[in-house]
Amino acid sequence: MAAEPIIELKNICVTFKEDKRDVHAVDHVDLSVDRGDIYGVVGYSGAGKSTLIRVINLLQRPTNADASVKVNGTDLLGLDASKLRGERRKIGMIFQHFNLMQSLSIADNVDFALKKAHLSKADRKKRVAELLELVGLTDKADDYPAQLSGGQKQRVGIARALANRPDILISDEATSALDPKTTVAILDLLADLNRKLGLTVVLITHEMDAVKRICNRVAVMEAGRLVETGDLLQIFSQPEAPLTKDFIDTTTHLESALAAVNQQAAIKHLQVGSVLVQLGYQGESTDQPLITELYRRFEVSANILYGNLEILQGTPVGNLLVILSGTPKHTEQALVFMKEQRVSVKVLKSGTEEVSVHD
Amino acid sequence: MIDFLTKIMPNVVENWSGDNGILLGIGQTLYMTFWTTLIGGILGLILGIALVVTEKKGILANAVVYSILDKIVNIFRSIPFVILLAVAFPLTQLLVHTTIGPKGALVPLILGSAPFYARQVQNTLVQVDSGVIESAEALGYGPWTIVFSVYLREGLPDLIRTSVLTIISIIGLTAMAGAVGAGGLGYIAISKGYQRYQNDIIWVCTLLILVIVFIVQGLGDLWARKVDHS
Repeated sequence: MAAEPIIELKNICVTFKEDKRDVHAVDHVDLSVDRGDIYGVVGYSGAGKSTLIRVINLLQRPTNADASVKVNGTDLLGLDASKLRGERRKIGMIFQHFNLMQSLSIADNVDFALKKAHLSKADRKKRVAELLELVGLTDKADDYPAQLSGGQKQRVGIARALANRPDILISDEATSALDPKTTVAILDLLADLNRKLGLTVVLITHEMDAVKRICNRVAVMEAGRLVETGDLLQIFSQPEAPLTKDFIDTTTHLESALAAVNQQAAIKHLQVGSVLVQLGYQGESTDQPLITELYRRFEVSANILYGNLEILQGTPVGNLLVILSGTPKHTEQALVFMKEQRVSVKVLKSGTEEVSVHD
Repeated sequence: MIDFLTKIMPNVVENWSGDNGILLGIGQTLYMTFWTTLIGGILGLILGIALVVTEKKGILANAVVYSILDKIVNIFRSIPFVILLAVAFPLTQLLVHTTIGPKGALVPLILGSAPFYARQVQNTLVQVDSGVIESAEALGYGPWTIVFSVYLREGLPDLIRTSVLTIISIIGLTAMAGAVGAGGLGYIAISKGYQRYQNDIIWVCTLLILVIVFIVQGLGDLWARKVDHS
């Protein structure tokens, strides 16, 4: 899959001088986004996400001399102010707090983006109507932002950002101020625009749920650095950095479940021949009647303590916490069998307590 | 009717029209207020906008320009107006070739009110949501568009309110300028009412100034409410 990169950030540093110490908001970051991607940058607040995505349209300039910002093949750092403004019009941006003009009606807020579009008055009006229809707000054209709900305001923000037919949409925590239901609706709208218009979306968020729902690629950011980047499926099934695992747990709750499970008496006094394992599987391997097979082949019984199943980009990704019990030899064979079935097996605890009574 | 008015305020009726009459005083007060508001308003607006955009986080941040403008505003705001009237004499002579009458008062009035208004404009415009400014930058707009279409548009309701405040303070300043020979209702109240013990003139002049203030306030409030959609 040799897709063409539409955004290429190389060696980006942003250092803020605060009193006597330097704050490295972005610290030697490379980021490459392909055309058509929905790219999620996830991190806790203060990680430098907002600063990083502002580098894409140079609302924030890198503070190091050897940084490179290429968007659509254009080196933005080499442009003069007026050319840069022209390029910015090709990069839409939406914000956590919507940033609409309170003094303008909804239609005028969208029209505001068309000041330099060189359209006739009639064409501008037509374009505004199109955009409002695209985001489903035709009937709100003459209302003012103060009369709208958060979700509706963000739709206006999206309409405004798309007015100049950009190739890229940057989303700065665009759903963070919205309730869960509205968040899903806005995310689905972004995914829809990505499909319909071929729009490349770069979104930053602290919610892994948002990333999971629409992104195909993910970068995890911490203290100004990208600690892990990759495809969504890969990140979810084989997270490496501790922070990535943290974030994934915020949506799968696997780690928290594990902590709870570890408190159970059955786990504290795990018997010989029993193991607590974490099973991970994705795609076709989930179609196997695995648990039944374990019992049929090895007489190993499986007690499922916790399970989580995600559908990521149409592929099921599952995680189970299971106690396998049998004779030590059979349990061992069962583990080998599962590995052969392309199930990732992580033994969390092996039983040590002798069986007091056994037939 | 005239008889009744003559009876309750004889000096007012006697001094109503003619040279140095109250009618002329109203005209002079309005003249000074109008031109000071117009010229001082434009200067103050430009200065206020310049302060906002050159501020540390402004769209044209420039520490040197900001600190110079900031100091100019502070110095002029620190000079008491009665003293400014005297200090401005040479400049007034140079610009309008007279130092007396309503025209002679214009220069000190403008010097006194423009910095005051500039500070008001600055305080109003810094409250415009910085996110909205950023979104305009993201849309590829330059400083001019941002000043005229965002700052002045978004700040308009509050700008009207502070302008009303400034106009009312200008009306106050014209009365003070009147006391040193600029004419207007303030001059009449002092020179005829106060110094000749004609109390009815003081009261009527005060009333007339209040009427002007209320009209300005009322129109301003109406306009501000009309453009405020927040």
